[in-house]
Amino acid sequence: MRRRKVGQHKSGFRKQLPLQLFVLAGILYLSVFNIIPMAGLVMGFKDYKITDGWLGIFTAPWVGLKFFREFVTDFQFPVLVRNTVGISLCKLIFTFPLPIAFAVMLSDMRRGWFRKLTQTASYLPHFISWVIISGISYQFLSSSGILNRFLLALHVIKKPIGFLTDAGMYWGLATVLDMWKETGWWAIVFLAAIMGINMEMYESAILDGASRLQRVRYITLPSIKPTIVTVLILALGNLFGGGLGGSNFEQSYLLGNAMNSEASGIIQTYVYDVGLANGRYAYAAAVGMVQSVISLIFVFVSNAAAKRTAGSSLF
Amino acid sequence: MKRWLKKSAEDKILDTINYIFCAVLIFVTVYPFYYIFIISLNEGLDASFGGIYWFPRKFTLGNYRDFFSDIKWLRGLGISVSATALGTLVSVLFTVLVAYALSFRELVHRKLYMTIIIVCMYFSGGIIPYYALLKALGLINHYLVYIIPGALNIFFILIGITFFEDIPGSLRESAMMDGAGELKVFSRIILPISKPFLATCILFIGVGKWNNWYDCTFFVQSKALRNLAYLMMQVINSTQVSATSAMAGASSSNTTTLSVQTAAMVVAALPILCIYPFLQKYFVTGMMVGSVKG
Repeated sequence: MRRRKVGQHKSGFRKQLPLQLFVLAGILYLSVFNIIPMAGLVMGFKDYKITDGWLGIFTAPWVGLKFFREFVTDFQFPVLVRNTVGISLCKLIFTFPLPIAFAVMLSDMRRGWFRKLTQTASYLPHFISWVIISGISYQFLSSSGILNRFLLALHVIKKPIGFLTDAGMYWGLATVLDMWKETGWWAIVFLAAIMGINMEMYESAILDGASRLQRVRYITLPSIKPTIVTVLILALGNLFGGGLGGSNFEQSYLLGNAMNSEASGIIQTYVYDVGLANGRYAYAAAVGMVQSVISLIFVFVSNAAAKRTAGSSLF
Repeated sequence: MKRWLKKSAEDKILDTINYIFCAVLIFVTVYPFYYIFIISLNEGLDASFGGIYWFPRKFTLGNYRDFFSDIKWLRGLGISVSATALGTLVSVLFTVLVAYALSFRELVHRKLYMTIIIVCMYFSGGIIPYYALLKALGLINHYLVYIIPGALNIFFILIGITFFEDIPGSLRESAMMDGAGELKVFSRIILPISKPFLATCILFIGVGKWNNWYDCTFFVQSKALRNLAYLMMQVINSTQVSATSAMAGASSSNTTTLSVQTAAMVVAALPILCIYPFLQKYFVTGMMVGSVKG
């Protein structure tokens, strides 16, 4: 019945007119809000001011790679790159394995109210905005916050630890907060994969005398490997955005301050600072492009690597 | 896992570790929210001396009274509520309609449309050209900046397509046979059986709008258009550096900027806390579909 329609394009299109209109409205929208800004990136190669208006982007005089050169030779460049890469890698190394471990642990527990409660509680922070979380961080971690007061009262420390103001603390702070916010959430995906494993494998393993840890090592983990690879590629694809949570910018903007900026300043916040706050739009667009290009290379490389080593890829 | 085997020593150890870990996790996750809640019920000046762990020491509703009598906070709350409601409605409707239409395999030019959508998902112009565009469209400093940008959610288009593809085509065809138009089929037949997908969509897009502080930070300068999330961020920014400035806002009723802020945080988190446990079964399947097929 349906097959017949394929191939009769002209009348087909007209027959589908209402559906086509829905899609075309969407495509028109994407053209305006996604594709046109991509074209606007050309401002990074031009001497453009925001007062030139939108079309000014295309009529402004070319300056070539001037802004790229300026960024690369800026004294902040090495610091920004170090922080962007460092924070991203910290998150990848420390926050990525945690949801897998948590999912394995949950799957190993008896189904019941306690397991349900644990899971429900675990993804609560995922829904809470970084603004509220930074507010909570302030209440807990500032020099007069509850944690410092608690440790002082126990005489574990002599003076407050500057969790929020010490530059040496920032990478750890960002990573731990990311763990706290996203572990339970990403465990959902791994738990679903574990639930899909054939129970008979476990049963025969038990008969063969495999211990619980051995079952995890030889059945659970190999069985969910494709899921792990898929999620890993997603995380790598957004590595410089902050991995799975994509939280680098929000964290840096909300938890960064004059005292820890040496460790918290990343390319994305720099783009915001020089572009929107200081009005150097063309320069900021060029800086943003540098990060986009590096990220893009990362997506393709990690995807190719996954294809080769694990046999599964995103595209 | 298997009740028919006796518990070994290993089982006992692992079970204990599991339960302790989970108990710690529940505490670490829930206590910060509980703490903010009790601080919001305590006199601000008193709270700044510390030492409150489980219950308010000097109970008061003053923080909430200050919050709800301050025009700045009230206006922010109003903007957040209306932008979330209207923005979610527009965004969910638009996204669902586009996803529905794209779920027809025989749609002419489908491949081209999908390519455009995938390109838009992976690439973007970044914040700077986006700002220039919004400025050209007159959306900077306009209420509609909360509604129009982001009205189409690409991630949910993709999830929606996989969802609608599973609906048997015969449902639609028999309704068409009876003379129903495309919109009628959509609203009478498709929408009612798409509740799980709609619920996931509404939850995520709604939470995203409610939590959104950067649209306001980047694109809005007018005080009358500040939303709740932005106002909270402002307080945090001004109090983060020194505790003394946190005390500066102390007013006659023993509240401080910071303690009113905790009330704001409770008001902002409460709707989410109340809604998400009930939508659990929907978004759990939504996440799985999205990650397995997406």
